[in-house]
Amino acid sequence: MSEVEIKALNKSFGTTEILHDVSFRIPDGAFVALVGPSGCGKSTILRLLAGLEEISSGELLIDGRIINDIEAKNRDIAMVFQNYALYPHMTVAQNMGFSLRLMKKPRAEINEAVKNVAEILGIGDLLDRLPKQLSGGQRQRVAMGRAIVRQPKVFLFDEPLSNLDAKLRVQMRSELKALHQRLKTTTIYVTHDQIEAMTMADIVIVMRDGQIEQIGQPLELYDSPKNKFVAGFIGSPAMNFFAVSTEADSPVFTFADGQKKALPKFKRLDGEFVLGIRPEHFELAKPGKGLEVEIDTVEQTGSETLLQGWLGKQAVVAVFHDRFLAKTGQSYCLGVAESDLHLFDPKSGASINH
Amino acid sequence: MKTGSKAKERRQNFLIDIILMTVCVLLLLPLVMLVANGFKTPQEILVWPPTLVPNDPTMENFYRVFSETPLFKWIFNSLSFALLSMVAIVITSTLAGYVIAKFQFWTINVIFILFLATAIIPFEVYMIPLYFQVKALGALNSICGLLIGYLVMSFGIFLIRQNVIASVPDELLEAARIDGAGEFWIFWHIVVPLLKGPIAALSVLAFFQAWTTFAWPIIVLTRKTAFTIEVGLANFQSAYTIDLALLSAASAAVMVPSVLVFVLLRRSFVEGIAASGMKE
Repeated sequence: MSEVEIKALNKSFGTTEILHDVSFRIPDGAFVALVGPSGCGKSTILRLLAGLEEISSGELLIDGRIINDIEAKNRDIAMVFQNYALYPHMTVAQNMGFSLRLMKKPRAEINEAVKNVAEILGIGDLLDRLPKQLSGGQRQRVAMGRAIVRQPKVFLFDEPLSNLDAKLRVQMRSELKALHQRLKTTTIYVTHDQIEAMTMADIVIVMRDGQIEQIGQPLELYDSPKNKFVAGFIGSPAMNFFAVSTEADSPVFTFADGQKKALPKFKRLDGEFVLGIRPEHFELAKPGKGLEVEIDTVEQTGSETLLQGWLGKQAVVAVFHDRFLAKTGQSYCLGVAESDLHLFDPKSGASINH
Repeated sequence: MKTGSKAKERRQNFLIDIILMTVCVLLLLPLVMLVANGFKTPQEILVWPPTLVPNDPTMENFYRVFSETPLFKWIFNSLSFALLSMVAIVITSTLAGYVIAKFQFWTINVIFILFLATAIIPFEVYMIPLYFQVKALGALNSICGLLIGYLVMSFGIFLIRQNVIASVPDELLEAARIDGAGEFWIFWHIVVPLLKGPIAALSVLAFFQAWTTFAWPIIVLTRKTAFTIEVGLANFQSAYTIDLALLSAASAAVMVPSVLVFVLLRRSFVEGIAASGMKE
C-alpha cells in the first residue's frame, strides 16, 4: 500500500518527446486508470515507474521517496504485461513463486503463498501445468497471481485484458475490481478502452500526445469534460460535435446547415463554437423543438436503438434506451435538455460550459 | 476410384523406397568395406574383385594397431579437444548471441558485423600466423594450443542471436527484472532454458567440427602421443607406402565413438544440420 507521485516528468527517445511535463498524485490504495489513444505515452509512464526505462527529467516518488535512480528490482513494484510474459519453461507454481524464490524465501513459505493466491484466483488445480497448456483467461490469472504473490507496494497493469475475447474481458474486469477491493493495493492500470477505465477505476487520467488532458473520477469526466478531446474520448458511442455560431445577446445558435436553435444558457456568447451532444442525451421532440435529423440507418440491439443520420453534412449518432421503430430516410426532430449540452472553443478545444 | 488411387500411391511409395534403399546401400558400402578390410589379411585386401565378407577373418590388424600406435591416447586427445571446444563455443556463443540480440547499441552491432566478417575469411589464411603465436606461447603439442583456434564460432553466435530474437520476448526479461532478478540470473534461468534446442544443435555442430578437423591439428601437433585421431590416421600413410590393413583396422576402431555419439545425439544432430543448412 503506497502513495505514488509523479512530478514534472519528461521522457524523450532521441529527439522525439514521448512525455511532456506529466504530474499527478495517486493516493494510497487507489485504482487509477491511464487511458488514451495508442501512442499517447501511457505505457511509457508504466515502464518508467517500473524502472524499465530511464526518465529524461522529473521525479518519481513512492511513499515520498524518490525512486528515479533505484533499480527495477528494488522498487517493490509488480507488473502484469499485455502478453502475460509467463516463463514458458516453468510451471504455473514456479511462475508464481518466481519472485519469492529470488527473495530466497523458504520453500514451504513460497508454496504456501502460491497456494493461497491460486485459491483466490481459482487456479488452484493448474499449479503443475505449463503456460502452453493454459487458455488465455487462465494465463491472465497466472500473470496476476505472479504479481499478487509478492505483495508489492504498487501494481502496474499494461493493457492486461486486451488479448482476451469480449465475454471473458467483461468477466475479468469485475474480477480485477473485486480483487482490488480485497487487496487494496495501489494500482495503475493502462488501457486504451475507455469502458475498462470507466468501470474499474476510482480515478481516470486521460492522456493525449504525452500530456495529461484531464484527471478525475469516471463520472466527472463524463459529465464535465475539460475539453473536446476528453468529451469525445469518454463515452460510447462518442459525442456528436456540431459547428455553430451565435451573436452576442442573442440566444439563437445557427448550425452549419442553417437550422437555428435557441440556447438561453449561452446567450452572452459571441462567435463560432463547437457544440457537443452525447448520443444518449437525444430524445424525440415535437417538430420545431429540436434539430431536424434525417435518419440513415437504424440498429436495433433489443435493449437500445442506435440511429445514424445527417444534420446537413454533419453525421449524427443517437441512442435511445427504449425501443424506437424509426424509419430510414425519414426526418425526426431530436431534442436535448439544455443541461446536457457542451460547448467548446473551436481553436483550443477548451470547454466553456462551466 | 478410391482404391485405385490408393494402389497407385502404394506403388509410388514402393518406388521411392527402392530408390532410397539404393542410395542408402551406396552410402553405406564404403563404410562396410572399411570395417571388412580391417579383418582381412594384407593379401586379401588387394584381391580383385574385392570381397565383402573376409574369407579368412583375422584380428591381427587390430592387435597391431593397438600395440604399435597409441590409438586410445589419440581417441582421448580428440575427445578432450572436441568436448572442451564444444563447451567453449557453447558458452561464448550463447553469451555473445544473447547480448547482441537484446542489448542494442550501435557499437554492439559493429562488433556483430565483425564477428560475421570473420566467417568469410578462410581458416587457411590465418592458420600460419596463428601457428607462430601458439608456438610463441609454448603451446605446441598441447590441447591448449589446439583449442586456441576453436573457442569461438561466428556461426554459433549468429545462430543463438537469431534464436534469441525469435523466441525470447523482451517482456519476459523485463518481467524477470521487475521480479527482482539480476542480469546473469536472467541469462541462466530464463534465456538458457529457452534456448535448449539451439544449444543442443550447436553443441553437436561444435563437437564434430573439432572432432573432424585436420589442418590445424596437423601443424600444431608434432609429437606422436599428442596426436588427435585424424592426425594419427593420416600418419599411417607415408610418401611411399600405405598400410591399408592397419589403416582400415584403425579407422574401424575409431568409428565406434563417432557412431555412439551420433546415435545418442541423433535428434540434435539433425536439428543442427537443419539450422545451419550446411554439412561438413
